[in-house]
Amino acid sequence: MESQTLLTIVVIITSGIGIMASTVTLAIVEGRAVLKALEGMVRQPEVANRLFTSLIVGMALLETSAIYTILVISLLLGLLGG
Amino acid sequence: MDRVAPQVVFQFLGISVTDTVVSTWIMMLIIIGGIVIVRRFFPSLLEKLITFLSDTISDVMERPAEPYLPYLGSLIVFILVANVIGVVPIITTPTKDLNTTAALAITVFFAVHVFGIRKKGVWGHIKTMAAPLGLFFLMLPLDIVGQLSRTLALALRLFGNIISSELIVDVVYEVAPIVVPLPMIALGLFTGVLQAYIFTILATVFINLAVRENE
Repeated sequence: MESQTLLTIVVIITSGIGIMASTVTLAIVEGRAVLKALEGMVRQPEVANRLFTSLIVGMALLETSAIYTILVISLLLGLLGG
Repeated sequence: MDRVAPQVVFQFLGISVTDTVVSTWIMMLIIIGGIVIVRRFFPSLLEKLITFLSDTISDVMERPAEPYLPYLGSLIVFILVANVIGVVPIITTPTKDLNTTAALAITVFFAVHVFGIRKKGVWGHIKTMAAPLGLFFLMLPLDIVGQLSRTLALALRLFGNIISSELIVDVVYEVAPIVVPLPMIALGLFTGVLQAYIFTILATVFINLAVRENE
């Protein structure tokens, strides 16, 4: 098959696998982070505010990895388009 | 993808001015006009906003927020208005351009060094960056590389979040243009507010790392 079709197929398969892997890993890890934060809040309600801030900051930093994946795949798909 | 990239609006003395820059000018007018109106009619609201910002910053830094409030307050107001202004019909979101977010991240990089040198002098700031002093020539380059990667991550985080929200709205608009993009736009607005807060909190943490007493 010609190289443009092969490139399209490879990019599509790679994008699918990449998004799937990064999103599943991210969801599992963020869920665990929220779980630990909630346990801490239940144990000591007076530091709940500080825990909430740390939770939000931690989740934004975790989210960055998924954003890098989206960015690379958007670039790949843009490259594919022309 | 082409609709989300920055478009050139006009050329001025050989420099092409993109819609990002024009949106930033309109944003400046809106922010200044808004502050003038709020200051005359609702002064207590302005005071409450500044108190909220000051309390958040001093909470993270465990020191009075007074010297750092102008820079960090400007940062959060700019990024907040920039992320939200995309819903106004003709104006585009400035932060969906990597140039804007990279500029903001570079100002954070320089702000860290300026605040550190102002607090501790040049030699004290370098000693803070190369923390365990026994391994001076190893920790200093490592710390500088870490700071550069933190700056890059700041720029890419804000850019990636905003442009993925815009791309989702674009794609949904291609498929079902009537009512369906509205929840996506709402999600984009929420993401914009959250990312403005995150950017400012991270800038506060980086400044705190340079300014704190670690003995």
